[in-house]
Amino acid sequence: MYKDFKGNKVYFSTGGLNLVNDKETLCFVHGAGQNHYSFTQQIRYFVSQGYNVVAPDFPSHGFSEGNQTTSIEEDMLWLAELLAFLKIEKATFIGHSQGCLTILELAEKKPELVMGLVFVAGAMSIPVNDFLIDTSINNPEKAYDFMVTWGQDSYGSFSISDWPGHNHLAEGNAVMKMNDPSVLSTDLKSCNLYENGKQAASKININCLAVLAKFDMMTPLKKGLQMVENIKQCDYKILECGHFLPIEKPKELNALIKNYLISLK
Amino acid sequence: MSEKYRFDTMSLHSGHVPDKETGSRAVPIYQTTSYVFKDTDEAAALYNMEVGGHLYTRISNPTIATLEQRLASLDGGVSCVACSSGMAAMHLVVTAICSNGDHIVASNKMYGANINLLQHTMTRFGIETEFVNPNNLEEIEKAIKPNTKLVFGEVIGNPGLDVMNVPEVAKICKKKNVPLAIDATFNTPFLMKPISHGANIVIHSLTKWIGGHGIAIGGAVINGGNFDWGNKEKFPTISGPHFAMNGISFWEEFGPSALTAKIRAEGMYNFGPSLSPNNAFYILQGIETLSLRMKKHIENTKMMLEFLKENEAVSWLRHPDLENHPDHKIAKKILPLGSGSIIVFGIKGGRDAGKAFIENVKLSSHLANVGDAKTLLIHPGSTTHSHLSSEAMKMSGLTDDMIRLSVGLEDIEDIKIDFEKGFKAAAKILSKRS
Repeated sequence: MYKDFKGNKVYFSTGGLNLVNDKETLCFVHGAGQNHYSFTQQIRYFVSQGYNVVAPDFPSHGFSEGNQTTSIEEDMLWLAELLAFLKIEKATFIGHSQGCLTILELAEKKPELVMGLVFVAGAMSIPVNDFLIDTSINNPEKAYDFMVTWGQDSYGSFSISDWPGHNHLAEGNAVMKMNDPSVLSTDLKSCNLYENGKQAASKININCLAVLAKFDMMTPLKKGLQMVENIKQCDYKILECGHFLPIEKPKELNALIKNYLISLK
Repeated sequence: MSEKYRFDTMSLHSGHVPDKETGSRAVPIYQTTSYVFKDTDEAAALYNMEVGGHLYTRISNPTIATLEQRLASLDGGVSCVACSSGMAAMHLVVTAICSNGDHIVASNKMYGANINLLQHTMTRFGIETEFVNPNNLEEIEKAIKPNTKLVFGEVIGNPGLDVMNVPEVAKICKKKNVPLAIDATFNTPFLMKPISHGANIVIHSLTKWIGGHGIAIGGAVINGGNFDWGNKEKFPTISGPHFAMNGISFWEEFGPSALTAKIRAEGMYNFGPSLSPNNAFYILQGIETLSLRMKKHIENTKMMLEFLKENEAVSWLRHPDLENHPDHKIAKKILPLGSGSIIVFGIKGGRDAGKAFIENVKLSSHLANVGDAKTLLIHPGSTTHSHLSSEAMKMSGLTDDMIRLSVGLEDIEDIKIDFEKGFKAAAKILSKRS
């Protein structure tokens, strides 16, 4: 769905349906260099489960226009304003990778918006090495290749998927190519700069869920588990896959989110 | 293009790991029509394409999905739909994108059935095609109209062996915002990957070199995921509302894989050109040795070209690797490993000599296929086009002395000996006449 928001055309997927006031809302927050397609196998599934779904493309990502945000704090503010614009008072936020930093920040600064939190392949901080940042500046397509190949375990690398006929590697690459070439480097720098994750995590007072990937080379499992330890009440599950968990293990992730949503009630 | 493994490794492994329950190293043949749903939630999710999985083999099947995933990875596509034949694949592409009133620009040097589909069948449904010289870039650009929804060609034309300048045609298509679909049957991804040259859709007849053993008919559409379908007025079938699934837009929900989602949700669902799981298995066995076979096909083709070049019975010889071929420079650039294993040549003595040649070779099989492990031959003048006069054949780009040779994997010396017998018979016809 497209809307004019803050003077720009902004896209957010609702799974093809209009938002309805009396339904609970799930907000899916994508990671660095990604867009709403990170959650292709979650969005329409949860719409069918009876939820409003909002999966925005952040500015300059996917179908959204506008100047790209340059920090996690700006990402959080943009998201909070978008929800206010859509008259959504409260939602459960599901973040992937950089999206986890955004929702950590949101949980600390705008707790009144948060009904639940699901961290997918996330951590409290996501430092990015200089090599990847430099590559993302000088040769974005090479950086996409690195991220996509590092982001899948061997199943993903061999195009093994429940989704018939899909080749994760090429698809992940194509999703990243939909963004402006400068998007990835700006996102990676935002991740690198963010330092408030530990404090934000320690202030969370609701039950959370972390779904972590055993073979995650982008946000290592160890860092995900540190986040779990810092949140007062955070259940966690480890799936045998790589960083692009929503694509590699969609059914398992959907089942975990579904059970978590039931537990919130 | 993101690839973790190289071609030969992907040919053996993409789309499959040993079966978790049984340990089966080979891809199992799931000879089933349907799949038991775990619960009603799962059934609904599969029908609505909310998550991946299988509900009915007309739409998808685990053995076929392995084949699709392997083909997508070999060609560098984001997704693939396999189907019952190469012609079914072409039909799926046309009907996924075009509707009544739309227009296609296509090569005039393509396989006859491709031309028939566009010229005679699709016109009945209001889809018009303008046929152009595949290497006249100006002509291609001029032919694209506001209602043009597809540009279509073959990397290596059949049977004329014209080589399309795919990178240059792709630039024109990009400028005009029209997808470029390429039939890559004659080259296979081992010799050339059209997507990496800018094409948006790849079509294969899997029956030929990919399957490689003349035992199973199949086709595939590989989606490059590199075309922007976002113009709802121009591409309503992909980016406009779908008639089912709450009127979703495939482009908004599936993005790079929108085309294949459309093909699966409509083409496979409503037309039903499904591949059999057994044929998918046979074709997968072929893919496991694709690079080995293609190397030998190319090696044998080179030796056969040398043999034919020197042979007095041969009046003319055509292959893109020969310097006198009009598209030799393009072939060298986009097909550096070789331009496939089809050779066409003329036999001195015309139609009757061609007939005598065909009837006197024994090891080479006279039949209507290409890309088998065995050497195959056909003489259009005495078979597929026997009803046509010499003039009418010329109009189709054929001559009555023309032989189409699909070079196989035999010891090439044996094929040469076989050919000598055929040439001897052809020479008798010629000498009788003189």
